[in-house]
Amino acid sequence: MAAVTRIGNGVYRVDDDGRQAIVYVAGTAGDLWAFWNGEVYRDGDQSSPPKGGHYRREHHDGGHYDLTAPMPATVVKILVAAGQTVKHGDTLVVLEAMKMELPIRAPADAVVQAVNCREGELVQPERTLVELA
Amino acid sequence: MIKRLLVANRGEVALRVIRACRELGVESVAVYSDADAHAPHVSAADRAVHVGPAAAAESYLSTARLLDAVHTSSADAVHPGYGFLSENASFAAACEKAGVTFVGPPSSVIAQMGSKIAARRLMDSAGVPVVPGDTPLDQSDAGVAAAMARVGFPALVKASAGGGGKGMRRVDDEAHGLEAIQMARREAESAFGDGTLYVEAVIERPRHVEVQIFADNHDHVVHLFERECSVQRRHQKVIEESPSLVVTPRLRSRMTDAAIQAARACGYRNAGTVEFLVDVSNGRGAERFFFLEMNTRLQVEHPVTEQVTGLDIVRAQILVASGEPLPWTSPWITQRGHAIEARVYAEDPANGFLPQAGRLLLYREPAMPGVRVDSGVAEGGEVPVHYDPLLAKVIATASTRDEATTRLVCALKAFPILGVRTNIPFLLRILEHPRFRSGEIDTGFLDTDGASLATSASVQIPDAVRDVLRAFTTGDPSRGTSRESRVDPWKVLTSWRP
Repeated sequence: MAAVTRIGNGVYRVDDDGRQAIVYVAGTAGDLWAFWNGEVYRDGDQSSPPKGGHYRREHHDGGHYDLTAPMPATVVKILVAAGQTVKHGDTLVVLEAMKMELPIRAPADAVVQAVNCREGELVQPERTLVELA
Repeated sequence: MIKRLLVANRGEVALRVIRACRELGVESVAVYSDADAHAPHVSAADRAVHVGPAAAAESYLSTARLLDAVHTSSADAVHPGYGFLSENASFAAACEKAGVTFVGPPSSVIAQMGSKIAARRLMDSAGVPVVPGDTPLDQSDAGVAAAMARVGFPALVKASAGGGGKGMRRVDDEAHGLEAIQMARREAESAFGDGTLYVEAVIERPRHVEVQIFADNHDHVVHLFERECSVQRRHQKVIEESPSLVVTPRLRSRMTDAAIQAARACGYRNAGTVEFLVDVSNGRGAERFFFLEMNTRLQVEHPVTEQVTGLDIVRAQILVASGEPLPWTSPWITQRGHAIEARVYAEDPANGFLPQAGRLLLYREPAMPGVRVDSGVAEGGEVPVHYDPLLAKVIATASTRDEATTRLVCALKAFPILGVRTNIPFLLRILEHPRFRSGEIDTGFLDTDGASLATSASVQIPDAVRDVLRAFTTGDPSRGTSRESRVDPWKVLTSWRP
């Protein structure tokens, strides 16, 4: 059984069979944070599950694509309409976030099933902008 | 000599300038917005003036409010730091007009270098190599497309007023040209209010190497060697170092000569940086370099140069702005050892690098030999949503690159920040990556390897963390644990993530 000693405000030493480690802890019940060796561990962080840092997310399900907003952004331009055939790489929607334009492109040759946003609208992350199949 | 200097900035750079003032016996004046009333830079200065609400446009970016602050505090000089108004020619001109010393180059130089097209022309005529390109007089879609065809593909369409990757698009074939032109123009108009475009050839897998220069009013222009900043994420520098592994002594002398020529050609004053792209595709001895742009201000990464030269750039900025000659002359400016800087940002690499805001519940900077931390925050402080999320810069210095890298890794592993997610785990994975270790990096490094570096490979909760939480939450006094709140550790651990 490892022994834990509080050695300072938020600082704990763990002695495990002669091996020592320093762990930092802060926060309150339900939102605790811990730091050890350069990594941070957090409880109560369900609002933002890990997403892998991809820029534009596509939920690909048997030839069906949901193209979503990668971050809060404004829809600057919609270049397609439902029923339209698009080619891999075609720009479907242009977003603007932090003064950068972000083109949302077709991940494959497909047909536009639905356009779920309008120009000038502010969209939130994970919001589906265009459905392709 | 400047008597009272107003620092028109916030965060770590404001603190950096305030400390230089103290060493020189110059009185410092901080400015702050509503969001920064309790920020460290405010307490560190001799005086502090409130300049407006949290929104930067009405505080740190407002020339009128900053000049009001200059008058109410009777400051005789302004240091703009970096970002905000540091490269805004009209702010510098307004200072000049008000009879206040602007710590930086004359407004005319800022204006000239702020136009990428004008800067390219000037450098080209001064014999400094520029990236092959074309500046179309006809700025219509067809005119820019024709320029693109003359340059050939792949090409970059860039905004004359651009910077930081904004208003810039790579075009691989003619079919995507029109779209890129329109996007770059819209972006440039909305970000800079100027949609003028030009076209450059793409240098594949370039390295970003920049030369620090310094000029005074007594006809002295010196260089302080190079920094390499090839580790970039979406055109934002992440890790910087000096010297550059790719710069041979011969290339160094060619590049520093070109940088000094560039500074002389535009009548530069004070500290500046000449950025180059280095093409190493032809192998050692056949490197080519091209002028990219000139930064007419103090750079975020200036500490790596200070570490390898042993010189204080910010102190010299204040002296030179006061009209004094440069405190150093070129024969004895030397480059010794190796320094690497990592930028610690409040952002979540596992969640698309979204900027984070919140309270710093725990924040302890590493203190160890050869490690310098330039920061602008403190434990218990708030990281506001309104500004750039840079928290601190950690700079490690040692005799070799390998030693400096290892030292930086150790420092970051001993830099606990809780309450706000940071990019420290991402920085550690970069520094431990074989490509970074071998120096085989180019500006595309994070684009090709970045996705795997953004998230941790392991989601295991380490035993040590489990042990602490078990003791922490049961509060067993025999283990000397805290009185803090009780939580069921096993419930806690199931939902934890690194």
